[in-house]
Amino acid sequence: MKTVKRIIILVVIFSVSIPLFLKGSVFIAPITGKLAPDMEGDDVRKMQQRLKNWNYYDGEISGKYDLKTYFAVRDFQKTYNLPVSGIANEDTLTAMGLTTLAKWGEVYAQSNQTSNEQLLARAIYGEARGEPYEGQVAVGAVILNRTRDPKFPKTVAGVIYQPGAFTAVSDGQINVPIDPNSTVVKAARDALNGWDPTNGCLYYWNPATATSKWIWSRQIVKKIGKHYFGK
Amino acid sequence: MSIREKLLDLKRRLSDRKMYSIVIVAIAAVAMWGFYQYKHAADLRQELDNQYNRAFYDMVGYVNNVEVLLIKSLIANTPEKTAATMQEAWRQANLAQTNLGQLPVSPNVLANTSKFLTQVGDLAYSLNNQNMGGKGLNEEQYKLIEQLHGFSVSLEQSLIDLQNQITTGRIKWGDLANKGTRLFQKTSENMPNAQFENIEKTFQEYPTLIYDGPFSDHMTQTEPKGLAGEDMDVEQAKQRVMEFFGPDKVKAVEEIGRVDEGNIKTYSYSVKFNNVPEDQTATVDVTQKGGNVLWMLYNRPVGAQEQINVDQAKALGKKFLEEHGYKDMVDTYYLKEDNTAIINYAYKQGDVTVYPDLIKVKIALDNGEIVGFESKGYITNHTQRNIPQPKITMEQARALITPRMNVLSSGLAIIPTDYKTEIFTYEFKGKLNDRDFLVYINAENGKEENILLIMDTPNGILTM
Repeated sequence: MKTVKRIIILVVIFSVSIPLFLKGSVFIAPITGKLAPDMEGDDVRKMQQRLKNWNYYDGEISGKYDLKTYFAVRDFQKTYNLPVSGIANEDTLTAMGLTTLAKWGEVYAQSNQTSNEQLLARAIYGEARGEPYEGQVAVGAVILNRTRDPKFPKTVAGVIYQPGAFTAVSDGQINVPIDPNSTVVKAARDALNGWDPTNGCLYYWNPATATSKWIWSRQIVKKIGKHYFGK
Repeated sequence: MSIREKLLDLKRRLSDRKMYSIVIVAIAAVAMWGFYQYKHAADLRQELDNQYNRAFYDMVGYVNNVEVLLIKSLIANTPEKTAATMQEAWRQANLAQTNLGQLPVSPNVLANTSKFLTQVGDLAYSLNNQNMGGKGLNEEQYKLIEQLHGFSVSLEQSLIDLQNQITTGRIKWGDLANKGTRLFQKTSENMPNAQFENIEKTFQEYPTLIYDGPFSDHMTQTEPKGLAGEDMDVEQAKQRVMEFFGPDKVKAVEEIGRVDEGNIKTYSYSVKFNNVPEDQTATVDVTQKGGNVLWMLYNRPVGAQEQINVDQAKALGKKFLEEHGYKDMVDTYYLKEDNTAIINYAYKQGDVTVYPDLIKVKIALDNGEIVGFESKGYITNHTQRNIPQPKITMEQARALITPRMNVLSSGLAIIPTDYKTEIFTYEFKGKLNDRDFLVYINAENGKEENILLIMDTPNGILTM
């Protein structure tokens, strides 16, 4: 009885302390980039063990990514609504709990990329969801242009959360989660990859609703959808 | 029952003693709830006020430090000491700018103040680099620092004025930030922004700063080098759009606007295609000079099936570029997203890879169609360069790299800097601790110019 209690306490302490780790410099990352057919090794063995425990896999724990493993991974992906490929990519490995605590720097590039992407997508959604596609990319491009201009903060988050800069932030629309397949996510990616329909603009406004007199002192460079873009 | 009767009935019931106490209890409960809500809102507001105060006081402190550091750098006599001072000024200016961005003042009111802080930091950083190379400041740079010091003194004074008004309670951040209450909206709109506009007046005479940093003013004034050819009218440029997609694919091209401002003047077109739903259009910007496609985006749903792989896509992109007059382009990096591949192509002059002359091609992997094109880098930078003979040999350059890195391949490359100049380098690709790196050694003087970490992710190769 005592040992059971101890185990429970340990598990509780451990699970409570994981979020604490995350706050610092450590992140959860998949144990490896991806596992694909014909690969061999310890990581494959670990995955087979999990799949067997959960009844997706009935072969032996060989450490070889064979046909049976392939189908087991497919079944697992189907159950968890992941893209069904039979290849255990990072998302699949994370869903299986095959993760490790990585140091901040190692996953930095990717996590930075995704967080900027989400933030930008949310801003685009809040500001331009009814606009044509290039109008959405344009709003993303304006935000990114601001990060490169001395008059504005230097980070995407800094620009988006600058008080009073965007109405979608002031009224909280920015916090609405975005479907990863939505077009605003695609628009955010195109903007991050360097497409700039505005050719370097720093401002945009809707002539029908803009209340600030100041904004009309800006030079209009382009009109896309309902928005004017200017410098 | 009429309303009058109902009211009488209610009065009668209220006069009942028991009913009285129930109503009183109910009212008390509502009052308490309201009070609690009020208190809660006030607490939150106070908390927010405190945050604003912290950002403001922090900023005043940092601006003060910048001022002191700028004057110190005028006195410092050795490059090492100047470098240390500049490094600190850079840090403090950045912190001041970050805190400035958190104040509840509309961004355009403080735009020039922000620009000043960014440029002071940026200038300090570039001077720091210069001093670390052992080169002291020259007369012009001293003058520039003196000038900037003057601005920082006036900024400091206006901030201290403002600080006094805040400490005596004449300005409340709550009034600035609170847009919810209609009653105060009128006054709050004008009052505090006016206070900040006084600060902004400090910068009306602010000079144009030119130095080697990414936020220097000369950055926005560069003329595109890669634009050649005749000026085109709307119809001629439209013809170029048809050629870009292939005349047999295009159903209609419609002009939707033009940009006559800035360095690159363009026409915009919307393109409809044959056998494709009407709402799936592509948008293209074509330069007025030379009729080059600056960017194109074709937003169509891309199927989930990967019919062609990245290597095939790379070949398709190269073929497309060659057919459209972009010769000698080589693929460098790629990224896979939403079953499309975004491939970077750089210009290759002789055996030198010229990274600034960049074209990005986005290819749908379901059928190999080009769904995106971006050539701003190429148009801005492309020119036939006079590349000199390297002053140091490949072996000499290689000897300068840490022996811990295992060099796998090498070549010559021209790389861009943050401030739109170019450096002629040796490029070494190698491994250290199982991570891939690119190291750039200046081919003229052997300086280690840049180190990039290659992220070989499942989605593509990224550099950092």
